[in-house]
Amino acid sequence: MPQDVKRNFMDRVIDSIELVAAAFVGIVAADIFISVLLRHFFSVSIPDGYDFGRLLLGILIFWGIAATSYRGTHITVDLVWGAVGPRHKRLIDIFATLVLLFVVTVQTTMLFDKVRLTFEDHVLTYDLGLPTWPFFAVAWAGDVSAVVLIAIRTYRLIFHPELVSGKPLGQPNE
Amino acid sequence: MSTDGVAITGFIVLFVLMLLRVPVGMAMGLVGVTGYSYLVGAGPALKLVGQTSMRTVTDYTFGVIPMFILMGAFVSNSGVSRELFRAANTLVGHLKGGLGIATVVACGGFAAICGSSVATAATFANVAYPEMRRYGYPQTFSTGVIAAGGTLGAMLPPSTVLAVYGIITQQDIGKLFAAGVLPGILAMSMYVITVALIGLVRPKFLPAGTPSTWTQRIKGLRDVWAPLVLFAFVIGGLYGGLFTPTEAGGVGAGGAFVLGVLRRRLSRALIRKSLLEATRTSAAVFTVLIGAILFGYFLTITQTPQKVTLFLTSLGLGRYGVLLLIMLMYLVLGCLMDAMAMIILTVPIIFPVIMALGFDPIWFGVIIVMTVELGLIHPPVGMNVFVIKSVVKDVSFTTIFLGVIPFVITDLIRLAILIGFPIIATYLPSRMG
Repeated sequence: MPQDVKRNFMDRVIDSIELVAAAFVGIVAADIFISVLLRHFFSVSIPDGYDFGRLLLGILIFWGIAATSYRGTHITVDLVWGAVGPRHKRLIDIFATLVLLFVVTVQTTMLFDKVRLTFEDHVLTYDLGLPTWPFFAVAWAGDVSAVVLIAIRTYRLIFHPELVSGKPLGQPNE
Repeated sequence: MSTDGVAITGFIVLFVLMLLRVPVGMAMGLVGVTGYSYLVGAGPALKLVGQTSMRTVTDYTFGVIPMFILMGAFVSNSGVSRELFRAANTLVGHLKGGLGIATVVACGGFAAICGSSVATAATFANVAYPEMRRYGYPQTFSTGVIAAGGTLGAMLPPSTVLAVYGIITQQDIGKLFAAGVLPGILAMSMYVITVALIGLVRPKFLPAGTPSTWTQRIKGLRDVWAPLVLFAFVIGGLYGGLFTPTEAGGVGAGGAFVLGVLRRRLSRALIRKSLLEATRTSAAVFTVLIGAILFGYFLTITQTPQKVTLFLTSLGLGRYGVLLLIMLMYLVLGCLMDAMAMIILTVPIIFPVIMALGFDPIWFGVIIVMTVELGLIHPPVGMNVFVIKSVVKDVSFTTIFLGVIPFVITDLIRLAILIGFPIIATYLPSRMG
């Protein structure tokens, strides 16, 4: 029962993270759709529509990577994994997740540098002159959550494998 | 260690990591940065990580991928697959093999909108398979035609795989989409002919379905006009220079949403499901893209593409001999990994060879996508086959693989036609200016 509660709580956290990213997909699509309509039918444009589009794209991708990493739905080669027994499957999953944790941690550290530089260089949007670093910081927060979620996944894979959701063999990648 | 030694070691480590199920993008990024760090220094290598990651995810051009994925998710979640199949069935279902032809046509229509081969195969395993079985079509044929029909997704625009090829090779994505139109129609026509031939040679194998009335046919067409008009508007706008590829994707996604809501096909739950699907797929594809760009720095510093070009062009096989060798390599790789991973991993190395041999880069995009799509249905992996097996539980892998054999032969003939007549792929892009 406590495990169920823990799983439900974690699932809700992951669902929320995914929903944040999903909301940004919708916002980016709306931004582009409305921009095109306004340009073609009214010859006006949304100020910074282009910059907002690309900056929100960055946010959605990093938050999406966080959820994808936890769910184990990255594009992988499952040839060996699909051919071995449950014990070896688990070992392979632990190894792969540890590598993933290492790579995303390095990426997050280096991304912070990029956010800091953007802040220091006062990089602004084209039309409205808004600072871009807050967008980068929100995107970076997505990568930080990816590190936390992958760490949780790794812990669960090692100590509570029954709590881990993953991609079953044959599930589409695209 | 020499540069060549580092490059070879890098490739070996990369394949080991991928076989140990490290996500393809992460494996490429790790090997790329480690190799670069060994040859140039840790400082510059680590700087690349932050810069490349942020630059890739905030590149407006790359927005084409999530937008077309979202368009596909909205359209497929509004039940278009069933309507397309029903409409095609009312027109040709009464013929011998008619349900097979209807499956191919509906797969083509659906794939054109959704852009994903495996999603098309999974959808039609649910929609068309039960119907074909109800009319007594054998399991081999029913699963085979769905697996093959699914591959149309990568060729007909908007194709995610072609968009990624365009990003990696810096080719015009609009032109690549246009290049896929005629080969996609050719593929669909050749599959239809294959089904018709099977029906002719073995008349009892594929029984005729129930004939439809004209009222049923008109109703069927009325159900599918809206998504087809949206598709024509988006691709037409792209072809006519009205939108950039990213804008076309945004217009497609927005249009699919508006149509779905107005036609009462998209509930709140389905909208949420579509957004989540688009997020997951986009994040997975961008992870591979970031990894590929980081790996690209490693390839540049080790001069691997140049060395591979020199090696292949000095074999004395002639340009078509080298092309054949490359295609054989893709067919073998198709046994190991999926289309997207294969394209992202190999194109940066192979593309300079193709350029050195004087082939058209847009045409090669079509050829390479067709080749890797064959990997989706040929043994031992065949991702579409796995997907169908996961939906249709009572069928064996052998049965499905037997069912795809006629379509694999058709694909090989189609590849030969495309190589012999490149204009099929290059005509429409050449008209875009």
